[in-house]
Amino acid sequence: MTALELDGVHTYYGESHILQGLSLSVDAGEIVALVGRNGVGKTTTLRTALGLTPPREGTVRFGGTDVTGMEPHEIAARGMGWVPEERRVFSHLTVEENLRVAAHSAADPDARTAESYELFPALDRFADKEAGDLSGGQQQMLAIARGMVGDNDLLLVDEPSEGLAPQIVEDVVEALRAASADTTMVLVEQNFRLAMDLADRFYLVDHGVVVEEGETAGVTSDDERIRRYLTA
Amino acid sequence: MSLGPLAAVVSQIAPLVDPSALLATGGTVDGLQTAARVLAEGIGKGAVYFTIAVGLTLVFGLMGVLNFAHGAIAMVGAYLGGLVLVLVVGANTGTLATILVFFVALALVFAVTTAAGSAMEVALIRPIYDRTPTYQILLTFGVSLIIEEFARIVLTLRGIQPNPQWQAPMATAPDVLLGRTELLGIGVRRLYLFEIAIGALVAVAVWAFLTKTLYGLYIRAGSEDTEMVQALGIDVRQAFTVVFGVGTGLAAVGGVLLMWDPIWGPSVLLSVDVLLYAFVVVIIGGLGSFTGTLVAAGIVGIADSVTTWLFTTGIVTFPGLSEVTIFLLLVVMLIIRPQGLYGVEEVGGH
Repeated sequence: MTALELDGVHTYYGESHILQGLSLSVDAGEIVALVGRNGVGKTTTLRTALGLTPPREGTVRFGGTDVTGMEPHEIAARGMGWVPEERRVFSHLTVEENLRVAAHSAADPDARTAESYELFPALDRFADKEAGDLSGGQQQMLAIARGMVGDNDLLLVDEPSEGLAPQIVEDVVEALRAASADTTMVLVEQNFRLAMDLADRFYLVDHGVVVEEGETAGVTSDDERIRRYLTA
Repeated sequence: MSLGPLAAVVSQIAPLVDPSALLATGGTVDGLQTAARVLAEGIGKGAVYFTIAVGLTLVFGLMGVLNFAHGAIAMVGAYLGGLVLVLVVGANTGTLATILVFFVALALVFAVTTAAGSAMEVALIRPIYDRTPTYQILLTFGVSLIIEEFARIVLTLRGIQPNPQWQAPMATAPDVLLGRTELLGIGVRRLYLFEIAIGALVAVAVWAFLTKTLYGLYIRAGSEDTEMVQALGIDVRQAFTVVFGVGTGLAAVGGVLLMWDPIWGPSVLLSVDVLLYAFVVVIIGGLGSFTGTLVAAGIVGIADSVTTWLFTTGIVTFPGLSEVTIFLLLVVMLIIRPQGLYGVEEVGGH
């Protein structure tokens, strides 16, 4: 079953034409990576799927339903979670409050919050601490937990390793693997090796369109078809 | 560097200050007692400023809207509250019954203005969220002018002078709130104690709403990052309607509180006067900060009280000392800490 489908999507920021007819499809249960250079439209693809930057042309389907033009909160309430670039945790709210804001849509918010703490024990220790006081890695864990806690079927994850120390990145990768056990995932990641390790399939994006796609198994950044799109 | 301009300023100010008056005051009144009384009255004024400003800061915090109609709504609150009191309270009404009527008026005015504020948000503010703040400022300023003119027309038709204050509600104030009471050896105006109590009630109610309810949690999260809140499946526009309504209701509650105050009282001029003080409080406290509003209201209230005392005792003969001091506080804050005492950096936009 198709979890997310973007069909011929054109998205603009003002007059800047960012996505120029991009199409992709994500099946339920898989992890799909969007890779490409900076500024080619990967983050915009996630924002378009969630309705934060609605497309001027094309269609977005989520779980088989056309969600094009719906408000972001309506799409999110249907089970699409977002782990944004730079985390964007609510810094003046405690860890517990950050999770409670997101857990409102879960059938059992308390149970889901407790599950988050089981998955991320570090968060449990800092439940009463303001999110702004956490380290970058802890904030990333919180952002992932917040994205998952609302019983979401699909998680859009944007640059989860950005600005983190290598050891912390390993913890984040483990968290994402755990999250993917019962959640479909679209992953935007600059670290090509990490993206290929985590994902089942990939889409290579350039100038707002998909230029390559396929299984991740055996793909390296040395492949000629990949390399020419990843180097400036 | 020439001291000429400075000397000119000093020579202008010097006649306004009378040190002998200060000595005379110190000689007749115990200094500590006077300081405590001025402080208590400052806290009383601060309670009023807080009640009026907290709605303004809630609305800005979540929605990024500077509501220039806030003062006009406080003015409407003062008149509506006064109307209830004048209609219900008679010469034979007891103290307890009068205070009960006051609370009924408070609840009624809050309910009516909250509903009106919500309707205003849906009909007028919502269509212009995507435009620049200038549109919101012009719109709410226009609404303020309409409310003021409407009030003038209605009052004139009813034979009430729009300015100065409408005295009839003041006459309904129960004796228990008039005069001073001894508190730890300090003679404090009872009305200020009443205003402190109401201000504390409002502060606790708003604090409980923000920290103990799920809706308050959404509002605090939305004040930091509205887009992120939307992405978590929360209808922020619905929250905007609720918060604008509650903010409007709180402005009107502040107005009701002023109804018995001899310094303010119901008048159409209240609209602008109250708005200026509310803006000073929220800017010093930090736009959108509940704690900041509470602290700044106290600071402004005490500054107001001290400067009023300096004027009334004849130490300073400049009648605008209070206003000048409060706006100087604002200017100093804008220079040294533009985001205010507890202001937060905006993320994610409104």
